[in-house]
Amino acid sequence: MSELGDIASDFIRQEIEEYIARPDERERITNTFRRASERMQAIAAALIDGDHPTVDRLTREALEAGVGALEVMDFGLIAGMSIVGVKFRENFIYVPEVLACARAMKAGMAHISPILSASGIEPLGKVIMGTVKGDLHDIGKNLCIMMLRGSGFEVIDLGVDTSPDKFIAAVEQHNASIVGMSALLTTTMPNMGKTIEAFIDADLRDQVKIMVGGAPVTQDFADDMGADGYGKDAVACVTLAKQLLGVAA
Amino acid sequence: MTPAPPIPSMTPRQRVLAALGRRPVDRTPVANPTSIATVELMDLADAPFPDANRKPELMARLAATGYTELGFDSIMPVFTIIQESSALGCKIQWEQKDNWPTVRMHEPIFREPEDIRVPENWMEHPDTECVLEAIRILRREFGGEVAIIGKTMGPWSLCYHCFGVEPFLLMSLDDPEKTRQCLENLKEMTVAFGIAQAEAGADAVTLPDHATGDLVSAEYYGRYLKDLHKEFAERIPIPIILHICGRTVDRMPYIAETGMAAFHYDSKNDPAESMAVVNGRIGLVGNINNPETLFARTPEDVRREVYKNLDAGVNLIAPECAIPLQTSIENLKEIPLAVQDWHREHPRAPVDGETATGQEGGNVRAR
Repeated sequence: MSELGDIASDFIRQEIEEYIARPDERERITNTFRRASERMQAIAAALIDGDHPTVDRLTREALEAGVGALEVMDFGLIAGMSIVGVKFRENFIYVPEVLACARAMKAGMAHISPILSASGIEPLGKVIMGTVKGDLHDIGKNLCIMMLRGSGFEVIDLGVDTSPDKFIAAVEQHNASIVGMSALLTTTMPNMGKTIEAFIDADLRDQVKIMVGGAPVTQDFADDMGADGYGKDAVACVTLAKQLLGVAA
Repeated sequence: MTPAPPIPSMTPRQRVLAALGRRPVDRTPVANPTSIATVELMDLADAPFPDANRKPELMARLAATGYTELGFDSIMPVFTIIQESSALGCKIQWEQKDNWPTVRMHEPIFREPEDIRVPENWMEHPDTECVLEAIRILRREFGGEVAIIGKTMGPWSLCYHCFGVEPFLLMSLDDPEKTRQCLENLKEMTVAFGIAQAEAGADAVTLPDHATGDLVSAEYYGRYLKDLHKEFAERIPIPIILHICGRTVDRMPYIAETGMAAFHYDSKNDPAESMAVVNGRIGLVGNINNPETLFARTPEDVRREVYKNLDAGVNLIAPECAIPLQTSIENLKEIPLAVQDWHREHPRAPVDGETATGQEGGNVRAR
């Protein structure tokens, strides 16, 4: 409790108290916010609330006041998303609320991204994401992309109905280290395996880690297809991507 | 307790309709509120996708295999969820034999409620007329022998198709009034297509309306859909089977209050828990797992899931949703075989009549 008391924002303290139950997550998130300034906590609170105009304004004001882009990203936007992710995983909030938070994240990142690009700061890793061939569903993939970007990954989104050739071309073009494939239809799940085979045929399988997900996909299916990992939701996707790259969660 | 008298042998149609009315049945029916079309059945009937979704003769021929080849108690000719959306003007990716047609939801046709334009003669569109004609063909061919189940899409799902999933879900959060307006503007399609299918000869309709726990909260169902679904139950003159994929047990208390005949539920929900939640207020249909069990495992695994549903007292046994097109016929045939065997092993299966209390009875099953 005393540690939580170090967090200035009532809203953030209440969010942690009410929604973050796992001791390791609670400790990690609490420590992050203890180190965050009030200004950053306000950005995180607005993001958790899905208030994109406020995130837009506060981010702009923080940068104008001389706060570093990395600090805003890590202690405002990503810190806020860490609470959103847990609330989503534990069914305290659902997709509409997460989409609103993603919109707020995007509003903040619109100010941050150009600065980070210009300063040459490296992302955690490059991820190619797409829904497999024959499948036009993308909401799960989009949630994963939002969480990955919110965690510091650069993501190249290939959209829906993505052929194995498109996945391969994107890996070659962007020199990506992870490929993420999504499928909602049981008819299109086998296309994950076909895409993995195409990477083997193209002699690229050893150069990328491949992760899969989607409502009907299971760990067993991922293993059968020869994927490197399976994530059951957007939070698991981020954890998995970090594991695959050997980055601390 | 006085044992209930044995129920005479029923036709498949009688069995399905009795179960949907939660009246006694001679055995639990095997139904398919959603598609059980497979590539093997397409070959058998010479009725492949995508044509079997657009030509009534092929649609009827492929659908009939569910009864003639697999031994289900119902025939369901609407293999996809795209027919009304096609009539509304959504772009459809028709795919080939090995994949379902899908609405190109990332190319939405509406942005605001006032954009919604339902074409005057939309039921004469080839893709909706195909459904009506296929039902007429099946009714002519099978008379009163087997239950024919149609499908009319709910307005929530139609909004996904027409507005795109993300824009519509964001609208539902940003502007509840606009969202309600969209649902109101589309609900007459749901009613009209349901009535038209009843007039064409359908015994019941499936009504998919994907307010799933994988996307939205139970509170959303209560806020946006419960009253609309009640209205559908009042206005569509045949039993309605509501279909929502994914986790739904948290919203079953609302669903049980709609007055619909049954709820087609997913394997993400435990049969016994689900039966306890609905508590006899609505029938349950389901919930044999598709991707892991029917698609990828053995008849023994299928049988285990069928028994689990029967042990829980589920009213009609069915795959949880449209089955993978590559599912083996062997696994599908196992569903009715397992149901028959379960009833042989449970000759005095519990009768719970209208109260669903599980009292002992004769060779009858009424939940």
